[in-house]
Amino acid sequence: MTAADTAEYRIAHLRDRLASEDIAELGVRIEQRGTGVALYGTVSSPACRAEILRLAEEELAGLPLHADLVVVRSDAPEHPEELT
Amino acid sequence: MIRVAAVGDIHLGPDGAGTLRPAFDTLSERADLLLLAGDLTRHGTVEEAEVVAGEVAGLGVPVVAVLGNHDYQSDQEAGVAAALDRVGVTVLEKEGTVLHIGGVRVGVAGTKGFGGGFAGRSGGEFGEPEMKEFIRYTRRCADGLRDALEALAEAGCAVRIALTHYSPVPDTLAGEPLEIYPFLGSYLLAEAVDAAGADLAVHGHAHMGAEHGMTSEGVRVRNVAQPVLGQAFAVYHLPVRTSDGAGPGTGTGTGTEAVAGRAAGVR
Repeated sequence: MTAADTAEYRIAHLRDRLASEDIAELGVRIEQRGTGVALYGTVSSPACRAEILRLAEEELAGLPLHADLVVVRSDAPEHPEELT
Repeated sequence: MIRVAAVGDIHLGPDGAGTLRPAFDTLSERADLLLLAGDLTRHGTVEEAEVVAGEVAGLGVPVVAVLGNHDYQSDQEAGVAAALDRVGVTVLEKEGTVLHIGGVRVGVAGTKGFGGGFAGRSGGEFGEPEMKEFIRYTRRCADGLRDALEALAEAGCAVRIALTHYSPVPDTLAGEPLEIYPFLGSYLLAEAVDAAGADLAVHGHAHMGAEHGMTSEGVRVRNVAQPVLGQAFAVYHLPVRTSDGAGPGTGTGTGTEAVAGRAAGVR
């Protein structure tokens, strides 16, 4: 089997690793897009993003990665919501 | 009017210390209480809980929390709750608490909750013992939530809020893959909220979901997972119904009250 043939299993393994290893990250979407893999979502810190990308490059070696991981914002809100 | 600040899924570890504190330090100017909707830590260790405690200690507003699935990961959930309790955070699980805010009795009923799915697309108590226990656990959480909300009504609360980690409705999951909805919440939680009544239901867990939703009976639901909010917390202004507003002897200060509960308990 080629790398692309087994992509869905490798994506599943990456998800398992993100959940079970130190990173404990369950909030990232990982999907096959064309011949590559897209990773997107919001993560808690730049270190978290770097670790996710490191694990993805390791687990999905040979597949083009398209990453769009955003670090969560921690600003105070500007406006409340009025619930009437 | 009661000003409710809320956030969940802050997933703090040692590297996250101090990230939320600057925003939290503005809370006393803009909110009357802070709700934490679970997944406060990454791995559920006491060490991580101490980081959370440091972020919310001495904010000048009462803090009420439920734990999330991440807070159970290391089987140290009791230690996590104890670390938060030491800095004055009220951690709820199938119970409620009464806050006195400007002479108004505000009740918060909380449970982590669990999954199972939503009406018409949900798991049932059938087959293997693991499957039965999955749903029975959710049902126990929902029963505890309903009992706590009912006890808060009996305690004369003019405002009642249901606080969970898992979602009571699918509305606030929009953006998540449909296939994982059964792992993100359960209609049993919404049924409990609708049966007992509440002014607001707040949850987290669904990082890719949407903020706004509603139960079948019209109770507003808000997903306050930090990635959904895109900020440190949200603030909701809740009107106080004057017909059953401030109870006798509530005073004008802010504090918490332990009230004897029914089956699940209110404190």
